[in-house]
Amino acid sequence: MAFLKQTAWLLWKDLLLELRRRESLLAMFFFGTLLLFIFHFALDVQPDKAADMAPGLLWLALVFCGTLGLMQLFQAERENRCLEALLLSPIDRAAIFLSKVLFNLTLMVLLEIVVFPLFWVLFNLTLWERLPWVFLYGLLGTVGFCVLGTLFSALTLSARGREILLPLLLLPLMIPVILATIRGMEIILRAGDFQESLPWLHLLIGFDVIFLTAGILVFEWVVES
Amino acid sequence: MNLPYPAIIVEHLLYSFYSRREKILYVEVRRLSKAYGFSWALKDINLELHAGECVALLGPNGAGKTTLLKLLCGLLQPTTGEIHIDGAKLRQGPARLEPTIGFLSPNDHLYDKLTAQENLRLFLALYNREKEHGELETALAAAGLADWSREYVASLSSGMRCRLSIAKWLLLEPKLLLVDEPYGVLDGSGVDFLEAYLKNARDRGGVVVMATHHVARVAAFCSRAVILRRGRMIFDEAKRAPWESFHRAVGEFLPRGETWPS
Repeated sequence: MAFLKQTAWLLWKDLLLELRRRESLLAMFFFGTLLLFIFHFALDVQPDKAADMAPGLLWLALVFCGTLGLMQLFQAERENRCLEALLLSPIDRAAIFLSKVLFNLTLMVLLEIVVFPLFWVLFNLTLWERLPWVFLYGLLGTVGFCVLGTLFSALTLSARGREILLPLLLLPLMIPVILATIRGMEIILRAGDFQESLPWLHLLIGFDVIFLTAGILVFEWVVES
Repeated sequence: MNLPYPAIIVEHLLYSFYSRREKILYVEVRRLSKAYGFSWALKDINLELHAGECVALLGPNGAGKTTLLKLLCGLLQPTTGEIHIDGAKLRQGPARLEPTIGFLSPNDHLYDKLTAQENLRLFLALYNREKEHGELETALAAAGLADWSREYVASLSSGMRCRLSIAKWLLLEPKLLLVDEPYGVLDGSGVDFLEAYLKNARDRGGVVVMATHHVARVAAFCSRAVILRRGRMIFDEAKRAPWESFHRAVGEFLPRGETWPS
């Protein structure tokens, strides 16, 4: 109970700071919509090819925007050495990890609420009944991205050149989650067959569970070293 | 466990009696060393801190004062050696989750874009010491920040931030309080507020360790002095009058022309 309360307080703090600073979300919105427009006008995707190409392009935009958010994830803790204050307090380190994952997830879901319909319109995807399935894949992929991203954001917290180091370390490990999300979305968009996409869904769920558990277990070591 | 009122009085009297007669060991540091890369920031520090002690931690720049404070609160891992707080090895077992150690760093450890009151509420919640709104206001008023309680920390001066940090630890009541150079940013009434708080913490049986360069001030206030030089402890004595050994030891890093008032 105390763990959940601490997580809730830390999440409240992060959301309040983001509301007041408006640094991450605005940059992510701007960059995300800009990339979708660039892809739309530069690539001129034909309607019959849209199902094959659109998921990859969408996730390219989401990964870039998400990485922007990850760069800022521990910014408040870097200022005034507030991370020290958190480490000094008698809270479970996993509460810090979980609150950051939830905060990052909130930002990404808000971004996706704007980007997904825009992407649907720009790429002439008329099959609106498939949007919930695509959104489900997007959500599971986002959870994987946020979990691993938070862990690596903490890992590179005090590293020199972390802006370069973070994507270099994160993206290779993100390949399974990106691949599973894109392939699952592609199957849904092309065939509309949810059963056919199930192996990718299982892979995504497995990835999310494994890395969330690993994150909770190793975060203490990551953040204190 | 809530004790009945007479039992609390008896416990308090016994504690006061024994803490005066024989000092209760609260912190024990054994052969503590810390290296950054290939250079030793601290080497072979042995220290015992007792309940009710106020220790001045002195030394020139780079002596290892802040490193020692950070080791004592567990923010740094020692390269060798051990620290025991209240009988339990620091950073092992449940002791590390006990809200017993405070680190007062004047300008740090506060969120810029939270108000003074929100900062207090957040840390009180994290320490599981949630207080009524009135108690927060009282602490802020005691710190001289009653009119700034709804201001962002970013808009406060460094002296006001230090007062807010003191108010934070005043509410959190740690048993071991580590203070890192507080005098530089505080005005006269701020120093009075700090020293009144530290005196109160010490009288309640807490341990205060204060790293500073304001020798005359802490020499008057603290009950013991520890001097570090190049990571080694060169002086550790309880205060006495006259205190010529301290005068000699501290003389070499005082500004030219300044002497310690005997």
